[in-house]
Amino acid sequence: MDFLLEGIRDGILLAFRGDPEVMNASWVTIRVSFGTTIVASIIGLPIGWLLAAHRFPGRGAAISVVQTLLGIPTVVIGLVVYGLLSRRGPLGFADLLFTPTAIVIGLVILAVPIVSVFTMTAVSSVDERARETALTLGASSRMAAWAVLREARFGLMAAIVAAFGRVSSEVGIAMMLGGNIKGYTRTLTTGIALESMKGEFGFGIALGVVLMIIIFVTNLGSRFLQKS
Amino acid sequence: MKTFILEKLSVSFGGDTVLDIGRLEVEPGVVTSLSGANGAGKTTLLRVMAGLLRPDQGRAEYMGEPIGYGGGGLTHRRRVSLLHQEPFMFRGEVIANVAFGEVARGKEKSASEEAALRALERVGCTHLAGRSATALSGGERKRVALARALATGAETLLLDEPAAGVDAENTEKLREVIASLAGGGMTIVLSTHQPDWASPIASESIRLAYGKLAPSG
Repeated sequence: MDFLLEGIRDGILLAFRGDPEVMNASWVTIRVSFGTTIVASIIGLPIGWLLAAHRFPGRGAAISVVQTLLGIPTVVIGLVVYGLLSRRGPLGFADLLFTPTAIVIGLVILAVPIVSVFTMTAVSSVDERARETALTLGASSRMAAWAVLREARFGLMAAIVAAFGRVSSEVGIAMMLGGNIKGYTRTLTTGIALESMKGEFGFGIALGVVLMIIIFVTNLGSRFLQKS
Repeated sequence: MKTFILEKLSVSFGGDTVLDIGRLEVEPGVVTSLSGANGAGKTTLLRVMAGLLRPDQGRAEYMGEPIGYGGGGLTHRRRVSLLHQEPFMFRGEVIANVAFGEVARGKEKSASEEAALRALERVGCTHLAGRSATALSGGERKRVALARALATGAETLLLDEPAAGVDAENTEKLREVIASLAGGGMTIVLSTHQPDWASPIASESIRLAYGKLAPSG
């Protein structure tokens, strides 16, 4: 029990002392997580909107596919993207394996279904009269769509925050595609995994504390945006 | 020129014909009441007239021009506004809701809000401007929705059961506002399942039964 308490104490001290290694892993995590969330939102929000607001042949199958992708194991994503980016893979020429970009590619595949499904649910739950009201008040089809999205904004924000939370705490993809290279692709989660295995429990705790702070601050920010 | 001409027009939902109109004309500058029991097709007819529901067959004209639907119906929707039986309020303040139409037309926010305040004044709801629109009572909601339609500068109003679910005091206020709008020359078509309520202000009446025109009176 003592070692656990000592680890937590050391971890909190390290986190707030600004240890360079902790700061570096934090910075990589922030960059990768925000980058992934932005790209996943750009892709996932329109997909969710399309699935919720339009009727087209194959819509049911498309919803099933997106929902199934929600449960895809991260190691499978890591494995597939690893195969694509490795030297012998079709995208090997890009030399992206073991770079932050490779992590982002893998995490985007993980996050897009999350954003899409949350968006679909949020848009579906908006009152059907919202769009028609906007139209009869003289809005164009595009403006009416925007009005519906504004009504769904709490759900959309939840979609983005959920995706951010998922990607910032992910370890399998970051490990396989980033390689856990110190100062370059080591994220807080891969750092925690490594330090724990080395017996550096306190250091792992420090990384965990910073990760929790990042997620907490992001959630605070999203709540502020929702209120404004 | 007639405001609306609908001819040989039909609408079906899931194989059931809910509207089957031989010929219907609406006079300009007057209040026309559209009566009929629940399910008679009143709302469907208003949605067709508003450019929100494309009929399966037939001709629908507004001021001599075919009514546009979908993406091509923007011009029509900016001339004719429909007030739903249970108006939807966007999240936010009443003033933002009432200004919606003007903002959608690309007007400046301040100019839109000035127009919104004038419209709220016409329906006696200026005091609600800063309130949350989703927290309004049923009667307030109807009057604010009417102000919202007025603020757009639409030349024709389609009111779906404006008195339904509204208390006596608000019902009377609504009728006064509608009467004053009609006095100003606006064309208004209002549906109601209580023809007696509309008769003092309506100079024309149409009756629907089972989706077809029925003799009035």
